[in-house]
Amino acid sequence: MDIQHIRNFSIVAHIDHGKSTLADRMLELTGTITAREAKDQILDSMDIERERGITIKASGVTMEYERDGETYMLNLIDTPGHVDFHYEVSRALTACEGALLVVDASQGIQAQTLANAYVATEAGAEILGVINKVDLPAAQPELVAEEIEHVLGIRRNECFRISAKTGLGVKDLLDAVCDLLPPPADRRHEPARALIYDSHYDDYRGVICYVRVFSGTLKVRQKIRLMGEGSAYQVTELGKFRPDMRPVDELGTGEVGYVIANIRNLGDVHIGDTITDDARPAPDALRGYKPPMQMVFSDFYPGNNTEYPRLRAAFERLALNDASFSFIPQNSQALGFGFRCGFLGLLHMEIIQERLERENDIDVVQTAPTVSYEILLSDGTAKRIDSPSELPDRTQVQEIREPFVRLEIITTTDTIGGVMKLAESRRCKLVKTDYLSPTRVLFEYRAPLSEIVYDFYDQIKGISHGYATMDYEFTGFEAGDLVKIDILVNHTPVEALSLIVHRSNAEARGRKLIIKLRRSIPRHQFEIPLQVAIGGKIIARETIKAYRKDVTAKLYGGDVTRKMKVLKRQKEGKKRMKSIGSVEIPQEAFMSVLDTSD
Amino acid sequence: MVEYDSSLIEADRFPNRDAPLSGLAPQVGPDADRRMPDAGTVRLDATRPHASRRSDPEPDGTGLYVHVPFCRSKCRYCGFYSVPVAGRHTGRLVDCLLRELDQYDGIEFTTGYIGGGSPTALPAGQLIGLACQVAQRLVSGAEFTVECNPGQVEPGLLEGLRQAGVNRLSFGAQSFHPAELELLGRGHRAEDIRSSVDLARRVGYDNLGLDLIFALPGSSLTDWQYSVAAALDLGVQHISAYSLSFEPGTVFDAWRRSGRLSAVEEDLDRAMYDWTIERLGQAGLRQYEISNFARVGCECRHNLGYWANQPYVGIGPGAASSAGILPVSGLGVPNAGFCVGEPRGMGVPAMTADTDHGQGAQGRDGRAPSCSWAGRPCHGQGARVTNNPEIESYVIAVENGAPIPREVQPVNAADTLCETAVLNLRRRAGIDLATFARQTGHDALRTFAGPIQRYRDLGLIEVTPGAVRLTAPALPIADSILCDFAALE
Repeated sequence: MDIQHIRNFSIVAHIDHGKSTLADRMLELTGTITAREAKDQILDSMDIERERGITIKASGVTMEYERDGETYMLNLIDTPGHVDFHYEVSRALTACEGALLVVDASQGIQAQTLANAYVATEAGAEILGVINKVDLPAAQPELVAEEIEHVLGIRRNECFRISAKTGLGVKDLLDAVCDLLPPPADRRHEPARALIYDSHYDDYRGVICYVRVFSGTLKVRQKIRLMGEGSAYQVTELGKFRPDMRPVDELGTGEVGYVIANIRNLGDVHIGDTITDDARPAPDALRGYKPPMQMVFSDFYPGNNTEYPRLRAAFERLALNDASFSFIPQNSQALGFGFRCGFLGLLHMEIIQERLERENDIDVVQTAPTVSYEILLSDGTAKRIDSPSELPDRTQVQEIREPFVRLEIITTTDTIGGVMKLAESRRCKLVKTDYLSPTRVLFEYRAPLSEIVYDFYDQIKGISHGYATMDYEFTGFEAGDLVKIDILVNHTPVEALSLIVHRSNAEARGRKLIIKLRRSIPRHQFEIPLQVAIGGKIIARETIKAYRKDVTAKLYGGDVTRKMKVLKRQKEGKKRMKSIGSVEIPQEAFMSVLDTSD
Repeated sequence: MVEYDSSLIEADRFPNRDAPLSGLAPQVGPDADRRMPDAGTVRLDATRPHASRRSDPEPDGTGLYVHVPFCRSKCRYCGFYSVPVAGRHTGRLVDCLLRELDQYDGIEFTTGYIGGGSPTALPAGQLIGLACQVAQRLVSGAEFTVECNPGQVEPGLLEGLRQAGVNRLSFGAQSFHPAELELLGRGHRAEDIRSSVDLARRVGYDNLGLDLIFALPGSSLTDWQYSVAAALDLGVQHISAYSLSFEPGTVFDAWRRSGRLSAVEEDLDRAMYDWTIERLGQAGLRQYEISNFARVGCECRHNLGYWANQPYVGIGPGAASSAGILPVSGLGVPNAGFCVGEPRGMGVPAMTADTDHGQGAQGRDGRAPSCSWAGRPCHGQGARVTNNPEIESYVIAVENGAPIPREVQPVNAADTLCETAVLNLRRRAGIDLATFARQTGHDALRTFAGPIQRYRDLGLIEVTPGAVRLTAPALPIADSILCDFAALE
């Protein structure tokens, strides 16, 4: 195929703006799949993705399209829509020359539309504006076109107005992909270089690398080298996704497909690495992209200690297909043996959690998610910690640095007050305000990740009656006046409940936390003091009163069956708890740590 | 034999008294025979003398409970099954009770208890007649209690019961406050309690008990103290003091839901309970169970049987029969498993019986199905059987010689361990380690090592050389502790 007839592009959009539907229509129009075989949103292969309407893993599909008597090869690289998977959007776009930015005609630009547009621009992709769902009664394509022009600088008359659902305007869009998006640069004669933009693990075939060839050619049986790892493999199969896997003999410059080369472990392949020819290696690797950074951590403990090996096996399986998820053994005095798990963000965590339950049926006790901190030690060295319990002794700590993000919130003008108040209470600094239209406003904040990681989005949604959207991107660690709060339950410090917070609201947070604990820990046979300590000094106390009366008055022959059932239920309730000293703490208590609501 | 009006209980209304409904002589099928060598001819230490009063005796044997499901009127707090007696053909029910009792004619019972409902709602002659028949089934010297409503006793009745063999009366006093009695919906006055206790004494009873209820909506500690003082003035041997519980389906429960009344504060309930234990103790009524107090030697043996998890047979609508203790490892009372109490001829519970499994079927194949409950052989397993409460279907079943509709709850070895522990721990004496081992074949200290250790550390359980028991501070919050004994860890 002539390189001039290859187009590599992605579709990026805010969640539910119709990205996958558009992909389906394109697959149909190009005859890649027939309407009959088209199940909806064919690119989303995982159940959870389909249920949640989001795409987690990028995947690529090759289509053939006739335009003015010429055959074009269109490679569509699908991208995830959610903020947690930014880096996947970015790596998909690195493999493309162009991007279709899809905006819902009734909802307009949303936070993730913007975030995706930035990523596309950074990746140097040519962007086509697409206004989708123009057939809906609530559609306001002209207004949206105005927003796009105002915010993204794409001229309103250059936006495509389509309905992915009915197919309206999709053919014109495909024509535009051929006419307006640039072809790959012609580097046929240079040494082979292919970017690994994704990978997945197949039980029978090992690791399957998704690649975009930037220069030279990859051939079957060729000996290749992963430039970052330095390891060499023999290519056993090359192919394209059409959308099922179809083997080919070679992948030429500009093409997109997959490589199978007897790679056994997903861990041996780094997304963003460059494949080159082992015999005639390229001098430099392709510019990859920043590896994804885990920003959210949470401990998982088996509900029953005997399930530890099963939990480990389950995590191993999950990690096989998700290089951005990590887990390391953890031993907590309070909770026993478990794992500290790292995630890209909260959604990523929820997905892992859900898959754990769905695919493995293991009861887990999970601690509240925390962020990663950078600690400047007295000796001048810096250290990353993923849990407040790892914080070194105060005397060794010069500075605690916390992760900051650029936070963007788009909301309606009538909810500005509530959103700003919430943001301020979470230590967010307003950087920029931009009116997208008379009724919609964009805020940009500099925000500490720890403040928005748990329930911030839910609260924003509540304040804006579901309207507001937000997105964030990690910008760096910044020093802050941070302190560690310890929680003592019945005079015993409980590591899993400690947290690092800003000094200004340490006391308030501590108080709120023990009030929540007081509500979630059931009464015991004795009084339980709950205390908040900072640096060994108690700053707040709550008390869980002891049972005063809890006894069945009558228990005779006819009552035994019923009463034993009641007592067994009472005992069952205790099973889902973790005992610390003589106090039984229910799982919710551990999750209440980061819940800052009242 | 006591004299009574033979028109009330006619011997010829029990044609099957000697040849029970099935028409079969006591026998067990060959299978059952192998499993339970003595199933047909059980020995339950029935000959052991019980007349001498020990302190906190460990009862041995099988208790008999007879349920009279009638009341003059329904009390507002009562969750027991009973129906208004007015217009009822009570004699028919009494006949049925006796016929059901006949099914257990292999057993000599070591205690007898007629309760309800209100047994005294029956015509005097019927209750006396019932007592006579029950008395014949008890070992000599057995404790035999009848529950009495203080508003429903008169000299003839108490005299007749005494002559029938009743040696203990339990009065449902509940309160001495007119307003509280009114609220409870009791049909008697405070004065009735005093006069009926006096009457019982005059008739010759020397073992009397009173039931009282505390933590009544709107009541104060002083109100409760007044009732307790009034009860103590009567010099009874036994007091049961129950904290009010709102049973589902009662008027009280409905009123609480609608906000018409509310439970007393937990702290007040606790204060009343603590005070009761102290005051009754001072008066010589020793607490021997969570809610029960007695002069030494006057503890209710029948109820002690429940807390010892000894076997018992319940007769009548809604009554429960136990498997009792099943030997877990060959120890324990031989054949005191469920089959002991298995009524011949009524062995197939309704849930597994089809129409052929009545008298006829058994007569045809000559096989007593007594060891098969719900299709499950019961060797090594026990069951608790509860007659359905509905009177009509009970009467019809018994009169037709059909299986009594009942629920069968399997009780396995682990259940038995747990039930025994929970029931034992309600006694102040707690778990007697030797008895527990004999009954269950297991060491309680080992079986329940976890909770025992945990609560010992908290001062809520104490272990003495021969026993494990709750400490005084544990009593008001016993359920929060006993739940850890309700299932094995």
